[in-house]
Amino acid sequence: MITQPGFLASEFPPGPEVFDYKTLIPSLEGSPWGHAFTKLTLLVWIAVAIVIVFFLVTYRNPTLVPSKKQWLAESVYGVVRNNIATDIIGPQGVRFAPYLATIFCFVFVTNLWSIVPFAQISPNSHLAFPAVLAVLTWFVYIGLGIKKHGFFGYLKHACVQPGVPLAVQPILIPIEFISNLVLRPITLAVRLFANMFAGHMILLVFTLGGVALWNAGPLLLKPAALGSWAFAIIMTLFELFILSLQAYVFTLLSATYFQSSISEEH
Amino acid sequence: MADDQPPKRPHAEGADAGWAAIGYLLGGMLVWGGVGWLIDKWLGLPNVGLLIGLIGGAAAGVYLTVKRLDG
Repeated sequence: MITQPGFLASEFPPGPEVFDYKTLIPSLEGSPWGHAFTKLTLLVWIAVAIVIVFFLVTYRNPTLVPSKKQWLAESVYGVVRNNIATDIIGPQGVRFAPYLATIFCFVFVTNLWSIVPFAQISPNSHLAFPAVLAVLTWFVYIGLGIKKHGFFGYLKHACVQPGVPLAVQPILIPIEFISNLVLRPITLAVRLFANMFAGHMILLVFTLGGVALWNAGPLLLKPAALGSWAFAIIMTLFELFILSLQAYVFTLLSATYFQSSISEEH
Repeated sequence: MADDQPPKRPHAEGADAGWAAIGYLLGGMLVWGGVGWLIDKWLGLPNVGLLIGLIGGAAAGVYLTVKRLDG
């Protein structure tokens, strides 16, 4: 309360530059490798470690009557396997459950960083991370389709809507091609990225806005600053909801795409 | 052929259809709006092709969405 850090408030309307992080290794400063070792990549590595260690530890001594940890791991995998994989893809969806569960856990934990104190930024708020995941899913569903229908068979499967007059097909085929084979990975990546980006921005606006109001001077504005901080807390809870939902949606849509690749018809 | 999986995913289908509809509408406007724009560039027209392409593409997208949801 004595002297609020003035620099925080001076940065008040936060811009996209708040997403730029300096390299953690000073000697790499300025080199292209600098971007490979930032807070964001560190958080990704920690997230990977957390997921691996969590499942290794919880599945080390599986018992018939599960312990609490084992129950948690089993219910995460069970939800993905039963409510996403088999529900959407059908009985043969079980073979995609490991992939989908991995995607779900990775996206969830990396998203969770956005509200963990001191981390407070999700790597997924940089487009590169969701893009890699989306391209992975893209490769898998195109690969599945080609394996199932053959190259041209899959093109026909993905681009030609049955039961449409032949004269209309030339208008529709380019649309199907763009939306099924080109737009899907882009929307998949952008949806996750934009949600995490906006979430981080909202939290910054309310937190830094509170500081700006507090520092503004007039006593009348101090309650407004408290209100702003209170709303930051509410938005943090909202962010928890959004980040879980986005992890679920990413997995769900991956499963939907797999289903559309291996289905007999549309 | 599709009825070897009778229990059709009850709740997930909504999300699937929603995103598919967005994809088709966006794709329709992108593809045919783009084609119209290119024709404009080629013939030096004042955005006539772009407009026809956008509207026609959106209509085609709606048609595709309806077709997909029916079937």
